[in-house]
Amino acid sequence: MSHKRNRNVGIIGIGQTQYSSHREDVNQPEMINEAVRFALEDAGLTYDDIDCVVHGNMELFEMVHQPDLWHTIGTGAYGKDAYRVTTGGTTGATLVCAADNLVASGMYDIVLAVGFEKLQEGHTTGGITNMADPLWSRNLQTGALTGATAGAMIREFGEERARRAAMKLRIDMDKHAMLNPNSHRSFGLDYDQLDDLMENSPKLVGELRLIHMCSQSDGACAMIFASEEKAKELSDKPVWIRDHITIHREETFNLFGKEDAEREETTHRFAARKLFERNGIDNPVDYFDVFEMYDPSSWWGLDWLREFMLLEGDEHLKMVENDELKIGGRLPLNPSGGVVAANPIGATAMVRVAEAALQIRGDAGGHQIPSEVKHALASGFGGTLWTVLTMLEKDLDW
Amino acid sequence: MAEYFGTTVDDIFSTQTERFRPEGAEGVDAVIAYDISGAGGGRWMVAIGGGKSETKKLDSLPAEFTAKMITDAETFVGMTVGRIDGMEAFQAGRVRAEGDMAMLLRLPQMFTKYVPPKKPITARDIIETAVDRFQPQYAQELDVTVGYDFTGKGGGQWTAVIKDGKCTLEEGLRDNLTVSNIVSAEDYVDLMLGKLDPMVAFGSGRLKLVGDMELAMKLPKIFAKFVPSEEAEAVEELIVLKKIISVDMEYSTGPVMGQFFEGLMEKKILANVCPKCGRKQLPPREVCAPCRCRADEFVEVGPGGEITMIDDTYYASPDPLTGETRETPYGSLHVLLDGCKDNETFWHMLKKNDLFDAQPGDRVRPVWADERTGSVNDILYFEKVR
Repeated sequence: MSHKRNRNVGIIGIGQTQYSSHREDVNQPEMINEAVRFALEDAGLTYDDIDCVVHGNMELFEMVHQPDLWHTIGTGAYGKDAYRVTTGGTTGATLVCAADNLVASGMYDIVLAVGFEKLQEGHTTGGITNMADPLWSRNLQTGALTGATAGAMIREFGEERARRAAMKLRIDMDKHAMLNPNSHRSFGLDYDQLDDLMENSPKLVGELRLIHMCSQSDGACAMIFASEEKAKELSDKPVWIRDHITIHREETFNLFGKEDAEREETTHRFAARKLFERNGIDNPVDYFDVFEMYDPSSWWGLDWLREFMLLEGDEHLKMVENDELKIGGRLPLNPSGGVVAANPIGATAMVRVAEAALQIRGDAGGHQIPSEVKHALASGFGGTLWTVLTMLEKDLDW
Repeated sequence: MAEYFGTTVDDIFSTQTERFRPEGAEGVDAVIAYDISGAGGGRWMVAIGGGKSETKKLDSLPAEFTAKMITDAETFVGMTVGRIDGMEAFQAGRVRAEGDMAMLLRLPQMFTKYVPPKKPITARDIIETAVDRFQPQYAQELDVTVGYDFTGKGGGQWTAVIKDGKCTLEEGLRDNLTVSNIVSAEDYVDLMLGKLDPMVAFGSGRLKLVGDMELAMKLPKIFAKFVPSEEAEAVEELIVLKKIISVDMEYSTGPVMGQFFEGLMEKKILANVCPKCGRKQLPPREVCAPCRCRADEFVEVGPGGEITMIDDTYYASPDPLTGETRETPYGSLHVLLDGCKDNETFWHMLKKNDLFDAQPGDRVRPVWADERTGSVNDILYFEKVR
């Protein structure tokens, strides 16, 4: 039994800016407006057709309080109902949840959701460090960086195999990013560089190296959601939201030090297990045709694959090693290049849903999966293990 | 010497010492080594100390250095003159660093930015752009030759041939020119850069026009205005507003964390225990979140314990309390203090000297601050028990 919904909701418009390390040529509302215009064009709508606007990013990154007020001129929210969402790294995914809930409830027929970040304008690591509780953790934290996952994987699978798999996944993602013109980072890495990068990419924390880690990007993403009736009327190929789930728990920086994974199931595995159970999905690897994952680093991407797909042992490593995650593989992971290719944080988790929807529509361009995409999964991540999962479908047949 | 973006590696290092800013290098005693490969590359060292700086070109790199940058000549010049994004070059592996990264990041404070010297524009620079500046729409049906006879220093002779809507440029003067410009090379540059008024130059005889005067009057239309290439290439400078936000903050600790901090002042580490599941929380929290109940019982744990994890950090991040970039590498650790089990680990810093020596499983103990005020800093760090 999925979430109760009064009516089905379809994605009918998607707009993304180019992602980049710097967009000094535009200010915040102008940059947002680029994505909003693309989404409206994509849906064949105008501002007048929008009933409600949901806006989100992480305030600490640009140090602008209530930026949705300033950005009204870019979102077109003037005189409309508007909401603001700011849930850290998951903001973009929560924007989708909020827009879906607003339409599914019957409150609004057409909702525009906009996520953005202009990370060049602030200090991301400083901002994230300020996220930690000021009584204790703030003094010890290094932004979002930790080598804990790398260390745990090296202990579990041995140094050589773990490091190879993480770097192989990094190069797979770069190959995907090279096909996506919106990528912020597409280096043209090749597999013969694997050994060199494993040794020479600068260390950030432990075995987490610079090449593994996501960037700080500028960019915006906008999506338009409509009720089933409106979506069928306005769009040739609406993408249906089947279900979504949000799981978080107490701030748990200390849990990064855990040794005993059995005792504390990760929010990723917990969320996936619950979502798949209530939707009757026994084998997620076979069910889904694409997975757009919020992969802040190649180490996390690799480790979390096991959690999200409910895999055991080294099944996730084998998927990387056997080329199953590449476009054309068994379960293509992040055909867009993923978060390691572009990370405008307030938009990042929404881009996962947007890219998954583009794959279902067959409109992903250079990074389109060659076979039919009917079932897609997108994940969002933030805070100290805060998980959002969104399931998309091509057909209204579940 | 190979040039990149109009600049050589030598150009940059030859001005290094004069670009030194002692006020940006207070307390710094460092040697920065540069290993630059490719045409025009080489090895340099920049020493900084005692309010002075010295730059040397070397055959081989010094054995001891604070930090080393390894890159190729094109990337080095490109980053220095702002044509290649340093962070992206670093991420792509075209620039590598060894030693103290934080010192490399401080360099922009210790040296002013290298600005390539402006090379004066010559009459040749300008006339050689004539074909590019040619506007065929204003030269339909023309079949003419235009002579340029530049006299004096930097002079020379050229002929622009305009025929069938096309323009070609030849060195030397053709016979029977339709019109001829005779002017000193210096005045020609000033005329083309708008520093000398053409009517003044013509009236005073500094510019002589011989031949078809009607064509001469049309020349400013047939050839578009010359724009110096630096200006043409220079990216428009966008106005950005710089703001530094600094706010004094005050956070209440509450009774539970308050009791924990009181304990630290007495060199005691206190955990609180969930009455339902029995887990210990470190630092203590008001409730056990999974059991949704208050955890009122406090127990003393540690102070010694066993390392479960070490995060050795090389990323030069700002200390959130001071805004200063932290010295790298440094290590944080998770410790299972005596009396704790499973995930009841305690997070703090590891003694710098123990960073490459300590391992998970090793015994550690806290080193206490002499003056304790009830904060995370009451423990300086954990050190390995030897």
